[in-house]
Amino acid sequence: MNLRLLIVPALLAAMLHPCRASSAIRFAREILPILSDNCFACHGPDENRRKAKLRLDLRDEATRLNDGLAAVTPGKPGNSLLIQRINSPDPDEQMPPPDSHKTLSASEKQLLSRWIAQGAPWGTHWAFDRPVRIKTDLQGEHPVDHFVRRQLRAQSLEPSPPASRRTLLRRLSFDLTGLPPTPEEVESFVNDSAPDAYERRVDALLASPHYGERMAMWWLDAARYSDTDGFQGDATRSNWPWRDWVIDSFNRNQPFDQFTVEQFAGDLLPSPGPDQILATCFHRNHMTNGEGGRDPEESRVDYVIDRVNTTGTLWLGLTIGCAQCHSHKFDPIRQTEYYSLSAFFNSIDEDGRAGQAAKPYYPYRSPYAIRALEEARDYFDQQSIRHTGARRAGELPFEQWLQTARNRVAGGFEPWTTVAAAQVTSTGGTRFLQESDGVIQTSGPTPRQDDYRMVAHPALSRITGIKLEVFPHPSHTDGKFSRGSTGEFILTNIKLQAHLPGRSQVREIPISGAVADVEAKPENGGPRYGLVKDTLDDDPRNGWTTRGHDAPTSHIAQFALEAPLILAPDEELVLILMHRSTLGDANIGRFRVSLTDQPAHVLSSLQPMPLEELAAIPPGSASGLPDALRQRLFEQFLTDEPAYQEIKADLDRARAHLADTQNAAGDVSVMVLAEREKPRETHVLERGVWDRPGELVPPAVLSAVLPWPPEATRTRLDLARWITSTENPLTARVIVNHLWQLTFGAGLVRTPDDFGLQGEQPTHPELLDWLALEFMETGWDIKHMLRLFVLSDTYQQSSRVSPALLELDPGNRFLARSSRHRLPSWMLHDAALKSGGLFNPAIGGPPVRPFQPAGVWKEMFMGRFQYEPSPGPARYRRTIYTFWRRSSAPAFLFDSPQRRVCEVRTRRTNTPLQALTMLNDGTLLEASHRLARRALDQTPTARGRIQFLMQHILLRSGSPEEVDQLAAQLDRALEFYRAHPEQALQFLTTGPMHPDRSVDPASHAAVMLLASTCFNLDESMNHE
Amino acid sequence: MNSPLSDPGLAVTRRYFLGRCAGLAPGAIALNRMLARASGAQSPGVLPHSLPKAKRIIFLTQSGGPSQIELFDHKPGLAQWAGKELPDSVRQGQRLTTMTAQSKQLIMPGRTKFSRHGQSGATISEWMPHLGRVADDLCFVKSMTTDQINHAPAMTRFLTGHPLPGRPSIGGWISYGLGTENRNLPDFVVLISKMQRPSDQPLYDHYWGSGFLPSRYQGVKLRNSADPVLYLKDPNGLPRHLRRDMLDSLSSLNSIRQRETGDPEITTRIRQYEMAYRMQLSIPQLTDLSDEPESTFELYGPDSRRPGSYAANCILARRLAERDVRFVQLFHPDWDHHSRLSSWCVARCRDTDQASAALITDLKQRGLLHDTLVIWGGEFGRGVAGQGEWDSPEGGRDHHPRCFTVWLAGGGIRPGMTWGATDAFSYNVERDPVHVRDLHATVLHLLGIDHEQFTYSFQGLDFKLTGVESAGVVRGILA
Repeated sequence: MNLRLLIVPALLAAMLHPCRASSAIRFAREILPILSDNCFACHGPDENRRKAKLRLDLRDEATRLNDGLAAVTPGKPGNSLLIQRINSPDPDEQMPPPDSHKTLSASEKQLLSRWIAQGAPWGTHWAFDRPVRIKTDLQGEHPVDHFVRRQLRAQSLEPSPPASRRTLLRRLSFDLTGLPPTPEEVESFVNDSAPDAYERRVDALLASPHYGERMAMWWLDAARYSDTDGFQGDATRSNWPWRDWVIDSFNRNQPFDQFTVEQFAGDLLPSPGPDQILATCFHRNHMTNGEGGRDPEESRVDYVIDRVNTTGTLWLGLTIGCAQCHSHKFDPIRQTEYYSLSAFFNSIDEDGRAGQAAKPYYPYRSPYAIRALEEARDYFDQQSIRHTGARRAGELPFEQWLQTARNRVAGGFEPWTTVAAAQVTSTGGTRFLQESDGVIQTSGPTPRQDDYRMVAHPALSRITGIKLEVFPHPSHTDGKFSRGSTGEFILTNIKLQAHLPGRSQVREIPISGAVADVEAKPENGGPRYGLVKDTLDDDPRNGWTTRGHDAPTSHIAQFALEAPLILAPDEELVLILMHRSTLGDANIGRFRVSLTDQPAHVLSSLQPMPLEELAAIPPGSASGLPDALRQRLFEQFLTDEPAYQEIKADLDRARAHLADTQNAAGDVSVMVLAEREKPRETHVLERGVWDRPGELVPPAVLSAVLPWPPEATRTRLDLARWITSTENPLTARVIVNHLWQLTFGAGLVRTPDDFGLQGEQPTHPELLDWLALEFMETGWDIKHMLRLFVLSDTYQQSSRVSPALLELDPGNRFLARSSRHRLPSWMLHDAALKSGGLFNPAIGGPPVRPFQPAGVWKEMFMGRFQYEPSPGPARYRRTIYTFWRRSSAPAFLFDSPQRRVCEVRTRRTNTPLQALTMLNDGTLLEASHRLARRALDQTPTARGRIQFLMQHILLRSGSPEEVDQLAAQLDRALEFYRAHPEQALQFLTTGPMHPDRSVDPASHAAVMLLASTCFNLDESMNHE
Repeated sequence: MNSPLSDPGLAVTRRYFLGRCAGLAPGAIALNRMLARASGAQSPGVLPHSLPKAKRIIFLTQSGGPSQIELFDHKPGLAQWAGKELPDSVRQGQRLTTMTAQSKQLIMPGRTKFSRHGQSGATISEWMPHLGRVADDLCFVKSMTTDQINHAPAMTRFLTGHPLPGRPSIGGWISYGLGTENRNLPDFVVLISKMQRPSDQPLYDHYWGSGFLPSRYQGVKLRNSADPVLYLKDPNGLPRHLRRDMLDSLSSLNSIRQRETGDPEITTRIRQYEMAYRMQLSIPQLTDLSDEPESTFELYGPDSRRPGSYAANCILARRLAERDVRFVQLFHPDWDHHSRLSSWCVARCRDTDQASAALITDLKQRGLLHDTLVIWGGEFGRGVAGQGEWDSPEGGRDHHPRCFTVWLAGGGIRPGMTWGATDAFSYNVERDPVHVRDLHATVLHLLGIDHEQFTYSFQGLDFKLTGVESAGVVRGILA
C-alpha cells in the first residue's frame, strides 16, 4: 500500500470540474512543477550536472533547434523531442531515465503534450513574480472571506457556522497571546451583546504585553535562539536582552521592514542607538563550536553559511542552502550567487571562536533585570527570615542533644570503627593478610595495575564516611608504601557499593568529597597524580599519591558519602581501591579502612571531630564549652535535622539565584554584529568546503528574485533594504504566510520554508498576493494583518467537521472550517500555569528554570551540568523565559523546534511520550495541586468542584454526562485516599509540592487527580 | 503490520483520501511530488525492497575515536619507525587538528601486544582479552574511512550521514522505514553508559534524532534512574488502578469530544494514551534485571552488576533484541585518548571488552545472532604519530579520519573475516575502502532496504541516509 497521495488543490479542482480540462494551461502552476520535479536535476539551472547541454528552465534554450529538432516546438507536440522521449518505450531513450526513479504519469504526459499544442506559453515561477492585486469587487465583503468563499463556491462548499463565543475567545486568546482567557473574561464576553464586543477583545489582546511574548516565541524558534552555544562545552551565553528586544518590538508593533533592517544592520544605521545594536544579535544566534582541535576558521565559515541559510528560509522562503555546494537544481540560484550573498556576512569582526571568546560583543545593561533582581532579593529575604527562625528554634532542642552527647562521650569518643574485612580479593593476584589491629598487609605478585575489592559487614547503624590509612613497611621498596619499583603508591579511583546477597546487581554509593593529610603536586604536562579528590572521577589518568614526601609515616585519606548509607540487614559493603595508573606498578602495600557515622560535613577536614573535642573537655568543667566548639556542635546537631536542612537548602538556592540575578543585572555581553576594519574577500567555496576557496565574488543579491545594481548592494544594510523592498516578490508573501500559519494553524503556502519550485503552491494564490500587498501598503504593520485575519468570518468559523467534509478535504485546504489542532507544547505549559493560578506574568529579564525531572542535563554531559529549578516565583514564568540549553531542550516541550538551525515548519505529532509528559510533568501536576486546592475552598460538593475545574481548564461547564463520569472517578479516588491517607500525602508531595495542612489530604489528592485528568483532555490541548 | 502505515492517525487520513480519489479519477492522482509537499504525511513506500537478513540492530557506539592502532590494526613494522617523522608520501597533506598541527609528526608504535584469535586468526590487542574468544563470529572492517576530523561533525557524519546536525539519524531512518514489531516499546532505544568523569564530548540528542522526519521516529533514551523514560513513572501516591480510572475517564470524555468535533485525531490520542499506559509496565519490566540468572552477570562481567554501566546496558540490549525492538543504540563515551594510552584507552577497554564479547555469545546462544546485526565502532580512528612525547608513557594519539576499524557480527554478515587493509602506518586505506556512506548502505541492505530508493522529501529534495555522493553495499562482507 502506498500512501503517496495528497490533496492537490489545482488538481482536485480539475477533477471536480472536468470541463476545465480543455481550458488554457497555466505554465507556472501546472507545467513548471512537472518540469522542476522530473527534469531540472539534469536540465535545469545547475550547470555542473547539466546533461546534453539542454536546459528546460528557459524558453530560448528549450526551443533551440539541435540537429533540426527542438526539445519543445511550440504548437507541435509531435515535433518536440521532449514529448517523444517521455513517451519512448526504449529504456535507453526514455525520459526521465529509469535509473532516476522518477516517472511521469499518463496525465502528466498528456498535460505536457497539450501545453506544447497550446503554443508552449512560458512564464516564471509564481513566487518570483511580484504580487498583483487582482481586480475584484469585494462588495463589502471582508477580503479574506471574499477570496476564501470564491474558492468554496467553486467547490460547491459552504463555510461553517460561527464558533461558539467561548470557543472563539479561547481560540483568539491563544492565537494572539499564547494564553487562555480567564473564566471571568469568557463569561463577560459571552454576555456582551454589543456589536463591537469581539472587536474590542481583539484590540485588547493585541495591546496585551503577552502579545509580544507570543509573537517572539515564533521569532525565537526561527532565529534558533538559545542560551548556550550548542556544541562541545555548550557554554552559556547571555543574549537574552535580544530576546526582550524582540518581545518589545512586537509589542510596540515595530514595522516589519524596520524590524528586519535593525536585525541585519542596526550597527550600520546612522548613529545607532543601543537597541539597534542589540537587534543585530539575530545573526549571532547560531550554534558556535569551541571543540578543542577545531580550526576556528572552519567554524567561522559555518556561521556565515548559517546566516545565509537562515536569511533564505525565514525571509525569502527559499532553500538557498542547496546552492552552497552546487548551483540550485530547481530554483534559479547559482552557486556564485550563494557566495555573493554570503559576502554580506563575511566581514563580521569575529574569528570563529565560541564560549566567552565569541566576539564581537556589546556590553548591555538590561532594564528588565531590575524587576528580576527585586524578585530574587525579596525571595532571598523571606528565606533568610525563615532560616534565622529555624536556627533559633533549634537552640532549645540542641541543649538537650548536647547533654545526651556529653553523657555519651564521657568515657571518651572514637569516631572511627575499623573494618574487619570478610574478604579481600585482587584482580591481579595480590595476596592479603589482615592483622589484629585491622591493618591489611599485601604480599605475592606485584601486578602493573590492580584493583583491591574488600567486602565487609559493618555493624554501624549508618555510614557517612570512610578513612583510608596507608602505611610504610620494611617489606616495601625502600621501606615506603608499595612493593612496586619506586615504593610510592598511586590510587586512581575508589568506589563504594552495597550488595544484598542473592541480588545480582549492586547499588553504587556516591562519594562526594575527599581530603588527605599529604598530597603530591600534580605535574603540569606530566603525570597528573597527586590530589585525592581525583580518586572520585573514574579517570585513571589522575589520582592520589604522596610521592615526594619521604618521611616514613602513615598517610590518611578521608572520604565523605553524598548521603548517609543505611545498610539493609545482611547487606554487604564493598570497597574497591583501583590502581590503574598510566605508569602502573604502584599498588598500596599496607592499609587500613575505617568507617564513621558522624555527619558528612565534619569530614571535610582532618581536624578532630566536634564530639572528639567534646570528649576531651573534662565533664562538668565550670568554664563551659569554647564558643567555636559550641558552634561546631550546633552545626552538627542541625545536620541531622531534616526540617532545618530543607529550609537551609531553600536559603542556599535563594542565595545562588540572587547572585546569578545580580550578575545578570550588571553589564552582560551580548553577541552582536560589527564589521571588521579590513573586509575579508569572499570566494566561492568549492563543493561548499571551507578551505577550498574558488572564484572571488563581490557582494550581490539574487537576481532571479529582484535584480539590484552592484552600487546598491554593498553592505548588510543594502541587503536588508533589498529584502524589505516593496519590489521584492518574496518577503511580504513569506511573512504574511507565517502570520497566517500562526492564526490559522497552517500557511496558505503549506511549505513556509520553500516558496521555490519544489515548494507547495498557495491554496489561495490571489488571497496571498492581496495580503502581501496589504502588508506592504500599510507599512509592514503586523498587528494590522493579524487583526484583519481574526476579524474575518473564515477565522471565526466553527472547527467542527462533518465526515463528508473531512473526506473531501482532510487537510482543510479550502478553509470550509476552522482548523482544530493541538496547541504547541509551550502554550500547554503556559496555560497550565495560568489555569492553575501559578502564573508569574512578568515580562523580560534573565532566563529562568521551571521544574524539570532530576538529571535532565546530567547524562548528556556525564554530570558537568546539573539542572536546578529556579527558586520562588521565577519558576512560574512563561516558557519563553526558560533557560534553553541547546544540547538538551526543555524536557517538557515536544514537537518544538530544536533551535540548532532555522526551522519554521510546524510539527504536530501525537505520541505516547507526549501523553506521559502531559500525565507526569511537574508543572502540570503542580497546577493541578493548586487548582484543586482552590476548588476545595470554592464549594463543598463533588459536582461543584468538577465544574470549577472544567471552568478553569476548559473554560466551559461540563455536561451531565461528563460530570457523571468524572464524579464516579472522583468517588473512587476519594475512597482510596480516605483509606490510604499516607498515599494522599505522598501524591501531594510530588516534585516541588507540599501538602497544605489546612485541608483534608484525601479530598485534596482526589480533586488534584481530577484536575490532572482535565488537563489531559484532548479538548484542553487543542486549538478548537 | 510493520510500517508506520499502521499508525491509526495516518490510516484515517489515508482512508478518507483514497475513498475520495478512487471515486473520482483513478490514476489521475499519481503525482508523487504532491505527497512530498506535505510534511509528515509521507510513507517510505513498499519495504523491505529485498529479503532482509537482519531484523534488528544493536549499535555499540564507542564515542571519542578508539585507537585502531592499539586495538585491531596490528602494524609490527612500526617499531623500526619509532620516533621518526611520518613521511610526507604517507601523510599526503592530511589535515590535523589544531592540537597537533604545529608539531612534528613523530611515529609512535602501537603500545600493545597483539595475538591471533580463532580459526580466522584475527589480530586483537591484549587490552581486549575477551573479544578474542568470539573472534570467529566477527567481521573486522579495517578500511573504514571518513572525512571529518573533529568529534561532533565526525559523529554526526557517522550517525546521520552528514557532518552538520539536521539530518535523521540512522536509527531514525530505520524506525521510519520499518516501524516496530513490538506494540509496547519504542522501536528505537538509546542507552548511554553511566560514567563519573565529565565527558569532553557531549552526546547530543541529534545523534539519535529524527532530523526532518516526524519526531516520533527519534530514539527514546532510557535513563539510568528510577524513571527510565522521562515522565514514565507515575507520582508516588498514585496507584495503578487510579491511573487506569483516569485513562477510562479520558477515553470516554475524549470520545464525547470526538462525536462533537468530528476530529479523527482524537482516536489517535486515545490510543497513544493507552500505549503510554502499557509502556509504564513494559519498560520497567524491561529494565529490571532481577529476573536474570546469576550466569548472565558472570558472562557479562562484574561491571554488569552496576546499573547504568556499559555492561549492564549490553544485557539490556539483549533483552530489547528479545523483545524485537528494531534499533538499539549504546553509547560509551570517552575514547578520546589524546594522552596516556596505557591508562586511558585501557580503562575504556576494561569497561567494554567483556560485555561486548558476552553480548555476541549471549545472542548466539539464544539463537538471536543470525538476525541481529551488531556493530561496534566510533566516529574516526587515531593517528600513527604520537601526541605529546612519542616515547613517554604520557603520549597519546590525535584524531585520524582516513582509516579506522569497526567490527560487525550476525544479521547477514560473514563471520570470521577481516575486510580491507591499511598501509604500513595504519594511515591510508590500501585495499577495499569503506566510507561511512558504504557502511550505511550495507546496514540498510541487510535490513532489506535499497539505500538509493529509500528517500524522504524535504524542502523539495529527496534526501537519503547515504547522501548525494556515491555509496555502495560492501558485498564482500555479506554472508
